[in-house]
Amino acid sequence: MPEASGLHSLFTVAWRLMWRDWRGGELRLLFFALVLAVTSVTGIALFTDRLERALLLESANMLAADRVLHSPEPPPAEINAEAVRRGFRTASTLSFTSMAFSDTGNMLVAAKAVSDAYPLRGEVITTMQPFTRGAPVDHGPPPGEAWLESRVLPALDLAVGDRVFVGETELTVGAVIIAEPDRGQGGIVDNAGPRLMLHMDDVAATNVIQLGSRVSYRSLYSHDDFDRLDEFEQWVRDSFDGNYYIRDVREESEEVAEALDRAEGYLLLGSLFAVLLAGLAIALGARRYSERHYDYVAILKTLGCTSRRIGSIYLLIQLQLAAMAVLLGSGLGYLVHEGILRALRASLQVDLPPPGAQPYLVGAMTAFICLLAFALPPLLALRETPPLRVLRKDLTQTRFSDRIPYAFGIAGSISLILWYSQDLVLTSLLVLGVAGTGLLLSLVSLLFLASSGSAGMKAGNAWKLAMTAVRRRRRQNVLQVMVFAVTIMSLLILGLLRTDLIADWQAQLPEDTPNLFMMNVTGAQVEDIEAFFAENEVDANAFYPLVSARVRTVNGAEPEPVEETGDGEGGGSLLENNQLEPEADAATGSGESADGEGRRVRGRLSRRQVTWSNELPPDNRVTLGEWWGDASRPGFVSIDEEYADWLDLEIGDILEFEINQQFVSAEIANFRSVRWDNMQPNFFIIFSPGTIDHLGATFLSTVRLETGQKLLLNDLIRQFPTIVVVEVDALIEQIQTIISQVTSAIELIFALVLAAGALVLLACVSASLDERFHENAILRTLGAGRKLILTSLLIEFSFIGAVAGVIATLGAEGGLFYLQEQVFEQDFNLHYWVWLAGPALGTAIIAALGVNSTRKVVNTSPLTVLRRVV
Amino acid sequence: MIRTSGLTKRVPTSEGELTILEDIDLHIENGERVAIVGASGSGKSTLLGLMAGLDTATSGEIWLHGRKLSAMDEEQRALLRAQAVGFVFQTFQLLPSLTALENVMLPIELKGDAGAGDKARDLLGRVGLADRCHHYPNQLSGGEQQRVAIARAFATNAPILFADEPTGNLDTATGGKVIDILFELNREFDTTLVLVTHDERLAHQCDRMIKLAAGRIAGEESSVEAAHA
Repeated sequence: MPEASGLHSLFTVAWRLMWRDWRGGELRLLFFALVLAVTSVTGIALFTDRLERALLLESANMLAADRVLHSPEPPPAEINAEAVRRGFRTASTLSFTSMAFSDTGNMLVAAKAVSDAYPLRGEVITTMQPFTRGAPVDHGPPPGEAWLESRVLPALDLAVGDRVFVGETELTVGAVIIAEPDRGQGGIVDNAGPRLMLHMDDVAATNVIQLGSRVSYRSLYSHDDFDRLDEFEQWVRDSFDGNYYIRDVREESEEVAEALDRAEGYLLLGSLFAVLLAGLAIALGARRYSERHYDYVAILKTLGCTSRRIGSIYLLIQLQLAAMAVLLGSGLGYLVHEGILRALRASLQVDLPPPGAQPYLVGAMTAFICLLAFALPPLLALRETPPLRVLRKDLTQTRFSDRIPYAFGIAGSISLILWYSQDLVLTSLLVLGVAGTGLLLSLVSLLFLASSGSAGMKAGNAWKLAMTAVRRRRRQNVLQVMVFAVTIMSLLILGLLRTDLIADWQAQLPEDTPNLFMMNVTGAQVEDIEAFFAENEVDANAFYPLVSARVRTVNGAEPEPVEETGDGEGGGSLLENNQLEPEADAATGSGESADGEGRRVRGRLSRRQVTWSNELPPDNRVTLGEWWGDASRPGFVSIDEEYADWLDLEIGDILEFEINQQFVSAEIANFRSVRWDNMQPNFFIIFSPGTIDHLGATFLSTVRLETGQKLLLNDLIRQFPTIVVVEVDALIEQIQTIISQVTSAIELIFALVLAAGALVLLACVSASLDERFHENAILRTLGAGRKLILTSLLIEFSFIGAVAGVIATLGAEGGLFYLQEQVFEQDFNLHYWVWLAGPALGTAIIAALGVNSTRKVVNTSPLTVLRRVV
Repeated sequence: MIRTSGLTKRVPTSEGELTILEDIDLHIENGERVAIVGASGSGKSTLLGLMAGLDTATSGEIWLHGRKLSAMDEEQRALLRAQAVGFVFQTFQLLPSLTALENVMLPIELKGDAGAGDKARDLLGRVGLADRCHHYPNQLSGGEQQRVAIARAFATNAPILFADEPTGNLDTATGGKVIDILFELNREFDTTLVLVTHDERLAHQCDRMIKLAAGRIAGEESSVEAAHA
């Protein structure tokens, strides 16, 4: 009795059948599709996992630590004690502005005292001669020494070994600082002048820090286990009622957060597409396998196999296959990610932590979910094959037919996307996108249907033969077009997004990005400073008046902000930690991220630095209303669109501001989008000229000084001692490093998905060849020439490719619109060339693959083909 | 062993219901060799499919190996086939990805019996294919493929063998050889043989011949050769 023969016999039969199927080539497509799924997902998961850690480590260098705590006074001792108890490495820094003296002069410097363990991440680059290349050291100055940035030495006429005075103490110039890891961090206190670094123990002797002094304390923490850092962060938040915040690099530097968030978004999208493509390949493989097994099952049934037993056998075969695919795919995935990392080694300067088990688990889970969703339904549907098929070939199973497998596949895809993205909105949008593609395909199939008016094969002419073939195989072709379209669409989306992201980053910080901010400039100084730059052949930028303002009322009522996003308080745009003017907002642009808005706008009801201008600042775009231009009238104001959303403002609303204890009202004339990450002066609020000019202002401007012009700074400061100059070179350079690494990562992910897509296309073309083999063997038997058949196949594949290309282009532009506007926060522009390139690409790829595979069709003898399919 | 009563099969078509078999009553004894003959479209293969439990009748009863088929579902019929029925088809129905040996082993393995390899090898030897064990179906001629199918049909010692036009795809000489083997094994295993054919010569080698015409039994005669045997 077969059913009584037990589980062992079931396993044995399943194993043998699988092995024989494998040997017979029946299982190869499905197996390779599974391996492809596991390889790409494991590879990308491993890569993402390690890259993310690497990028975080690399960017941690920008903090000189993994986590930082800022405070204007010494932080509670319990925090450091707890960090030590938890096994963290700790260090501290104290920043303040001070005058440095030598025998020949004095200079305002940004002093920074560091403890012995500084820096916890990254290195200080020092040298013995100013303006030369340095060598890395992993510590700061010892007690009694001061390390100075290059331009301090000529300004004070000092050399290494000389004495420099800071406050009431005298220090020896021990080295010249070329770079320090966290130079870009901090506010004006850290950037108001060239660096003078000293040991923490020497601070007391300077006697510079008095009650009320503007100082900035930073406690640095480091640990290799990121989870423990997060726990510590939470502990600090919980233990001190939110009065102290531990921040990571994302919160400290929004420019870096932006790059990291976008890179992660892209990697996530890459793995989503890889999974979808692999799922498609599995579905194709399973479909082909099950189609080839109708006869097999019918024979098994005549031999007495019950449906249940057949179901069990096929389930076991798939599980065994999946287990092998997981083993092989995990190994290959490891190799793929190793390959990528090798390629990246040049730009990744950090040692990568070893990968965890999670990526392998993700790969294995993907294989089994894909199998459940895509492969099992058609295979289990095999159970319904009527045994009578052994006598009548035309009988196929009908109960499961097509709909249920599709439903499983769709449900599986949705679960996978949701699992990967953890983002319900993104998942819904992708599902809607796919549904839209489905609708388009239905229309296309209707077109096929409408044009199929005549009977017969029209075998006299290659064109007609091809077109009748397209119509006859309408159902299969719609499926094939869908697979091609989804694949090409994925590649187009990832390709275009990659190009746009990289272009956007390049545009963010072009070559001539200003590296100096000048603030606290009086109206009388503006012309003199412009003259100073003209004299020294430096291109000066526009001067913006700056006034501190606060929104009092909106249409006469208290402003009511909508609920804020994000957690914790303000982040690290350059001037937000500004102790010189604690109420001021970020007048300089400084990026945003996933919750950048939340970080940037917090405290927006407090004072803002506002300006007035006839000119729309560069990188600003009016999104609603009109810019006043030269024909401006007083009494109008322009608002950043996010700020407007936050206060629920509308064009025509009247805002009342308090400026220098006076009240001014203005009507909202327009909303603007502001590019906060371009390191240029940016403003939430701009008035039309004549509205607040009478209330007094200081001016802000930017300038770019090349390395060779840096000494001009000393002259500038000497000539205009009251202005505040902030140098942002270090920050720009650090952002550019991160961006270049992220760019490499994106290129590699794209290449991987490209390879996965190519394999799917190949699988799909091969899968469709079976029936073409048979039909063309008959045509050849009846006397059709090779040329006729090849040409007709070429036309058929080109047509399918072109249709898929058009649909893919539509889908890609739609997908990009959503992704760029909503996920990557970029402006979407139509890619006109893609409207030609998409269909052309589809035609070329599918035709090339088709022709390549069809060679077999015409080169195999018709008799062999006919015998094979009888 | 096999009995039908009032067996009728109708199928829906675009032009209304089509009657393929109508009111078939027949009885086949244990060990009997019966040929079902008739012109193309007379319903021979449909009758075989119904008797073997591969299909269900519109009305009427079928008893196979003492069990009432019409009261069974597909699962139960499959179990009965595994226990009692062997098949030989016109189109051989070998699994293309399995070798000759593996094709013969398959029903033994499915039944969970031990020694599948030895038994299959023995049977292949008896149909004259000992040296073709490891060939795939597409490497075998039509006659050889049918001999593998015959070996497979006898692999589980099924008491009933259904053969659907076993020589339909073969030339006369090859067909003759295949039939000799089929009958020889049939005698040896003492199986009941139900053979569908339109080859009168082959039909006459059976004990009894049932003639079908337009879905009805048009006549029945005992084979002369059988009478002489």
